[in-house]
Amino acid sequence: MADAPDQVSITLDGRVVEVPRGALLIAAAIEAGTYIPHFCWHPRMKPVGMCRMCLVEIDTPRGKMLTTSCTTPVADGMVVETSSPVVKKAQEGVIEFLLINHPLDCPVCDKGGECPLQDQTLAYGPGDGRFVEEKRHYPKPIPISDLVALDRERCILCARCTRFSEEISGDPLIEFVDRGNHVEVNTFPNHPFTSYFSGNTVQICPVGALTARPYRFRARPWDLEAVEAVSTVDSVHSKVSLEASMNEIVRISGVDCDPTNQGWLSDKDRFVYEHLLADDRVVVPLIANGDGFREASWGEAVGLAASRLADLGGAVAGLGGARSTNEDAYVFSRFLRGVVGTPHLDAQLDDGLAPEFAAAVEPRALIDDLDDADAILLWGPDLKEELPVLYLRVRKAATAGAKLVVVHPRRTGLDDVAAHTIRYRPGEGPALLRRLAAGEGDLAEARDALGAGKVVALVGRPGLAEPAELAEAVAAFALTLDDARILPLVRRGNVFGALDMGLAPTLLPGRVSVDDAERRRALAARWGSLPDGVGMGATDILEAAASGRIGALVLLGVDPVRDHPRPDLARRALERAFVVALDLFVTDSTRHADVVLPVAGLGEIQGTVTNLEGRVQKLNRVVPPPGQARPAWSILDDLAAALGSELEADAVEKIFEELATLAPAYEGLTWDRFDWAEGRDGVVVPLEGVTPPLRHVPSDPGLAVVSERPALHLARVLYDDGVLVRHCPSLASLAPEAAAHLHPRDASVLAVREGDRVRLEGVGVVELPVVLDPTLAEGTVYVPFNLAETAALGAVPSVRIDVVREAGS
Amino acid sequence: MSWFAGLLGPWRGFAVTLRQMFRPKVTTQYPEEKRVKPQRFHGRHVLNRYPDGMEKCIGCELCAGVCPARCIYVRGADNPPEDPVSPGERFGYVYEINMLRCIFCALCVEACPTEAITMTHLFEMSVTSREDAIYTKDELLVEPDGTPRHPQPEGPLVDLDELRRGHGWLRATAPSGRAAYEGIVAWTPSATYGEPPPERGQAGVTDETDGES
Ligand code: SF4
Ligand code: SF4
Ligand code: SF4
Ligand code: FES
Repeated sequence: MADAPDQVSITLDGRVVEVPRGALLIAAAIEAGTYIPHFCWHPRMKPVGMCRMCLVEIDTPRGKMLTTSCTTPVADGMVVETSSPVVKKAQEGVIEFLLINHPLDCPVCDKGGECPLQDQTLAYGPGDGRFVEEKRHYPKPIPISDLVALDRERCILCARCTRFSEEISGDPLIEFVDRGNHVEVNTFPNHPFTSYFSGNTVQICPVGALTARPYRFRARPWDLEAVEAVSTVDSVHSKVSLEASMNEIVRISGVDCDPTNQGWLSDKDRFVYEHLLADDRVVVPLIANGDGFREASWGEAVGLAASRLADLGGAVAGLGGARSTNEDAYVFSRFLRGVVGTPHLDAQLDDGLAPEFAAAVEPRALIDDLDDADAILLWGPDLKEELPVLYLRVRKAATAGAKLVVVHPRRTGLDDVAAHTIRYRPGEGPALLRRLAAGEGDLAEARDALGAGKVVALVGRPGLAEPAELAEAVAAFALTLDDARILPLVRRGNVFGALDMGLAPTLLPGRVSVDDAERRRALAARWGSLPDGVGMGATDILEAAASGRIGALVLLGVDPVRDHPRPDLARRALERAFVVALDLFVTDSTRHADVVLPVAGLGEIQGTVTNLEGRVQKLNRVVPPPGQARPAWSILDDLAAALGSELEADAVEKIFEELATLAPAYEGLTWDRFDWAEGRDGVVVPLEGVTPPLRHVPSDPGLAVVSERPALHLARVLYDDGVLVRHCPSLASLAPEAAAHLHPRDASVLAVREGDRVRLEGVGVVELPVVLDPTLAEGTVYVPFNLAETAALGAVPSVRIDVVREAGS
Repeated sequence: MSWFAGLLGPWRGFAVTLRQMFRPKVTTQYPEEKRVKPQRFHGRHVLNRYPDGMEKCIGCELCAGVCPARCIYVRGADNPPEDPVSPGERFGYVYEINMLRCIFCALCVEACPTEAITMTHLFEMSVTSREDAIYTKDELLVEPDGTPRHPQPEGPLVDLDELRRGHGWLRATAPSGRAAYEGIVAWTPSATYGEPPPERGQAGVTDETDGES
């Protein structure tokens, strides 16, 4: 019998193996090296025993018995046969039965070649069927959403998709309907499968019943070339495989990485590759010419950029880097500080958190800490909209029993599983925080929930109109709890990596404060020089550029006109300054550039990235960049050379080696480490010993902006009008309608009904239809950020609302 | 005496030559005179149609996947519902074979689930540029009436009739693979009109009764 207390021993086909106590037999057997065929069981979901493919024979007191191994937990001394004649007969029977109504369109089926039904029919099937009658027919694929098509003839009714929707993603929009021979999977009438996670059902469907419409007939599995990378759509960095055919990425699949995405992706992660193939991608260097651009050679474009940057001396600033790799960000940091000699650089656009806080708040939580937390405090963005894969992880923890406290101005995706939901009017956060900390009135229960055991505090900005300091105040409150860890939430791709590479006015590479004398000496020795003092942050940079004090801006994959809280300021700054932009597209911002240099995107470069918990993972390359596009580090190297300096950036491995010697948190990391088993899930870089002194964390800040006017809740939505989504045809159409959401009581005060139009005045003026939202805090107007119609509004604490009356009414 | 045997050796060899001189010759005066090729000769490919004119190819890429020389490039697309190109959901909208790389192994013919691609008896495909060696759907696909197309005109080397010869050589049995269906004509040979003749050895057809080759 088993020695270890958490192990039991079972006899598997005559072989005695030790398996974890309580494990399901199928999982234990597969772990022990005996494969049991299955369709409906999925390691990340609860078993149902729908398909009967996993039948095995178990010795029971009443003799041998066939049972489904996916629903049977192991027991000490269990004797299991997985390939006895009885089991084989059962397997053949199940396959023959599943194929009775199966159309066998393998040659035209997108699953063909990687289909579990094909594979297991070959391996465990009878080789022949006795059913000669006409098969059941349904109309061939019916679109059940803009992204997913359903072919009911191929469905084997395993319930993986329906279980995923209900259990994992929490939007049960797909269900079994009808009875008997007519059971089919379908959506509810007039309600498409509009889940943010619908692509996962395509990936886990064991047949070709659910297929992805963007991938339909694009390639077959055998002509796909795949590499592992992580999704840089948001800062969770879900592990993916990038799959390319004929040098085009045609599919992204989720890879099960235990500490991060556990196999799941959001549809944005999954279909974002489309932007790489967009027609209007910049593939040659461009130089401004009148209202537009003309194509130029690299020599001419880099020469022009360098000569203007040289003329301006230090009156140059850099923005961006939060969508690039760590290597790009490091070279950008070195280029700006060491070559151009400017301390003014920022990866964020005042739309995130304070850099020291985001990069080095302690104690930092890992995503995995959610699983054994007793309570979770979420005071930040609506995770479903901003960090969807983290939403899945929080949802999983909350359904497993962690007490979730959600504080947000309106209903969030997690409210269903939350133990306590607290609404507040933006601007009244600090007051609410004081009351929550004291456990006053109706907040007593939520405070109690946070009082005991391990707490993970997820803190970020609930909306862009709220100050970044609020998150710090919430963190400071959380740190007064016994056992709390903080996970700062900022969405943008590799923003944490960019901060770690020193792309912030107050940070040097490696989470080091800019006035750490010892580190400054080490960097200056390597970089040649280092400008003195603390530089300006994004808003100051833009103001200086708009007023002419900064003569030139270098933009690395950044769109301030769309992403900065003050779009008008960003526009004026870009119009006035000389702008060198390294970007994939001509965006609203790079439109004002004088030189646009084409950079390579996801899957076209190698590099490392760092996620919100500080996990460093590697991106691999599967396609060459289009046209003349190049990695940003190599462009910056050319720019530096044209400015008479040597960056020594000639290979990504070398840059990584350099940053691993100069950035303390990254010390000891080696490039190949990520290719080996120990580094496959990434490496969490340590905070200990390198944390810069945190700037004063206000525990009782005077942040409240109390105003008679409606407070603005300006929050991101998953599908916005950002540059990535706009260039993905499948996703762009999913962007929600722009609207001003009002609480019904506020609406009745204003005497507007749903659908009426209102004019909102913030930084700019926008006119939007009204949507009534009873879940919204009163006295608040919610506007989705960064849609084409809302982009001009800007992030201001409160707005002026005017009702637009139709003439004559 | 071994040195004497050594001297004799070469003459033994010449005896072989002498003997061959009086045997009938196999040389033919190519190209004026062409030898009859075996029925299953692996020559140029054609893409076939159904008798109603629909393309048989469904763009499944199985031929491309099996090709050991990796010389086939296929892309599938959705059949336009009003005007379908092939039966079913998908058709091959790009089909290219690089004849310079092709080793004429006929694995593509074997892989094809619809017998869309078959091989004929024509092998004279000399070209003057590498691009010309890439046969596209324009050249591979037969006319709606079954007439094969060829980039070069009929000439002493190019006997277009050879493009009609050759059979769906693979299916010795019925598509379901059961021996009981042996002898039942269940394939259509390449590029021909009307009712296909059965393959040699099937349905009582022998070398003598097979008219074509
Ligand atoms: S689901 Fe699998 S078995 Fe069914 S048609 Fe598609 S590839 Fe073939
Ligand atoms: S659609 Fe696919 S995942 Fe859903 S029940 Fe059918 S076979 Fe299973
Ligand atoms: S020729 Fe046959 S195997 Fe090749 S793509 Fe067309 S149908 Fe498929
Ligand atoms: S895997 Fe056990 S019944 Fe489906």
